Amino acid sequence: MGSMLGDWPSFDPLNFSQLRPSDPSSPSRMTPVTYCPTHDRCQPPPNQVIASESRNILLRNMYKRTEDKLRSKRPASEILITDQGLKHPRTSTAESPF
Amino acid sequence: MFKSNNVTARIFQRQICTPAPGTSIYSARRFYENIVPSCTIYDVECPDHSFRKFTEDGLYLISFSRNHQDLIIYRPRWPSFSCKEEDCDTHELPPKAKKFEGFFTELYSVSLATSGELICKDFFLYMENNQFGLFATSTAQIHDAPAVGGAVQGVPCVEKITFHLLRMEDGVVLDERVFWSDYVNLAHSMGVFLYDDLLAIVSLRYQRIHILQIRDSGNLVDVRTIGEFCREDDELFLYSSVQSMANPDKSKQLHQMTMNHAANGLHHDRPAGETSFLSGIKQRLLSFIYQGIWKEETDQTLRMQCLKKKFYFHFQNYVDLIIWKVQFLDRHHLLIKFGSVDGGVSRNADNHPAFFAVYNMETTEITAFYQNSTDELYLLFELFCDHFHVSGKNSLYMNFISTHSNNIHNLEQLKSNKNKASSLSQFVKKMLSSLPFSCQSQSPSPYFDQSLFRYDEKLISATDRHRQSTDHPIKFISRRQPNILKFKIKPGPEAGNTDTRSKKISSFLFHPFLPLALSVQQTLFLQPAVVNIHFRR
Repeated sequence: MGSMLGDWPSFDPLNFSQLRPSDPSSPSRMTPVTYCPTHDRCQPPPNQVIASESRNILLRNMYKRTEDKLRSKRPASEILITDQGLKHPRTSTAESPF
Repeated sequence: MFKSNNVTARIFQRQICTPAPGTSIYSARRFYENIVPSCTIYDVECPDHSFRKFTEDGLYLISFSRNHQDLIIYRPRWPSFSCKEEDCDTHELPPKAKKFEGFFTELYSVSLATSGELICKDFFLYMENNQFGLFATSTAQIHDAPAVGGAVQGVPCVEKITFHLLRMEDGVVLDERVFWSDYVNLAHSMGVFLYDDLLAIVSLRYQRIHILQIRDSGNLVDVRTIGEFCREDDELFLYSSVQSMANPDKSKQLHQMTMNHAANGLHHDRPAGETSFLSGIKQRLLSFIYQGIWKEETDQTLRMQCLKKKFYFHFQNYVDLIIWKVQFLDRHHLLIKFGSVDGGVSRNADNHPAFFAVYNMETTEITAFYQNSTDELYLLFELFCDHFHVSGKNSLYMNFISTHSNNIHNLEQLKSNKNKASSLSQFVKKMLSSLPFSCQSQSPSPYFDQSLFRYDEKLISATDRHRQSTDHPIKFISRRQPNILKFKIKPGPEAGNTDTRSKKISSFLFHPFLPLALSVQQTLFLQPAVVNIHFRR
């Protein structure tokens, strides 16, 4: 198979089976990170690909709050308090924005 | 990571210890505790230019001529001289080494402004991966210009604003973009935001956000213009529908396009800027606010009451909002600040109502809408401040600027200010008034890293702004060894100012990674500035 780790012993013979030696024609390509389960209580779904979320955490939060507000029937300020579990003095909803 | 404060011991330790994962830059930065710009050359003889800033990669020093017509670029370097004596460290620097030319080499001078135009000294944006610089020149401002062609009444007008894209290596102007009879807020680069290769220019006068891309070849390419229209083909669709107004059956399709209650129908011979439709972005905003209020209540009567009170009562105020400022949150999302016309042009907008909206340029939807006093947005600001300070993926040093989301000392300072504030909503408004952030307004120098040094933020900070000058030196005290003074920065002449009456302002230019800084002290009366060089001897 030609794994760059050769025939080094490993805990599970199937470990590193996905690893391919770097292709000499494109030496800068990185091999993808392989995640291995640390227990055998359940198997990961086959062909699962783990990738980082493209949207950053700030935008994810903003989208989530908007979706919650549009879906739920509760006013926005209540969602904020129950979500975070923090106490915030509520801004008066009767206060005019202008 | 380092057990000792001694630089040699630290170097030996660095040879054998690996820093914890993800902390290699912070570990390397700790060497800046040992290497500090403690030596000052006072009142160095230098050309009478306005020194603006160092570029983020440290390769260029940007300066403008006093007459605001020319751009002069210097390359920072280190003085070199030799000393034949035995114990050189105690010797004073020879006069040759104390010159401006010892630290900076002039690369070139380019005349950017033609007659009638002036370079905007406050405006400069740098694209690090291609080493392109963006500068702006403009003609004089016209106050009380008539609001024609879709312009907003009350916003000043400038006959010609030109953005110049320069290749910094040799000063060649690669491309230009001109805005005629428009107004873009150029002070401190507030009206323009650069993210990677995308540029957002806010035309305050016509309420448009121009998105441009800077290609590797140096061309400025239009991507989209957000304002009247959101999607690229909106304009085409609208005018083709106008054509069909002649056919009465098809006119019903127009009414389904918008929920503008004041729509009186569109006369197909009315010029483009004066339709009775609200602009595309305004329609998106109003729909979003409407839907949010609609979903709050399930009961129909309560719903209508809510809408009346929160939406229809303020409808005209919402319609009159204008775009003040814009920043990118990522390649697809913009954070737009809306406010009233008066607040958009005044310097102090604290008392004017302001709103923030997050707009997705791809789906053309508003994703979130906040008033400037909401706790919700403040909470996001407190937790994820770094994500508001977007820097391109190629920018190494800009990702490590101390903010209250990545630095415990900043966070403590913020919390203490919050506890001391008399009114929480005023505090929230004040904190959120810094949003949207201006692009490249903070220095990435490690000497401003709050984990390394403690300094008086009122006198000096990473934000490049002019500050009131004092005669006392500004102290940088080590964080890890409390009360140990590491170095001092003193602007102005060594002996202090003889003239104590006139007000003086200082600005500080720190190199991004070398222990080199310039302090420029000037009075308000166009006298030559006093420039000091602070460096490590």
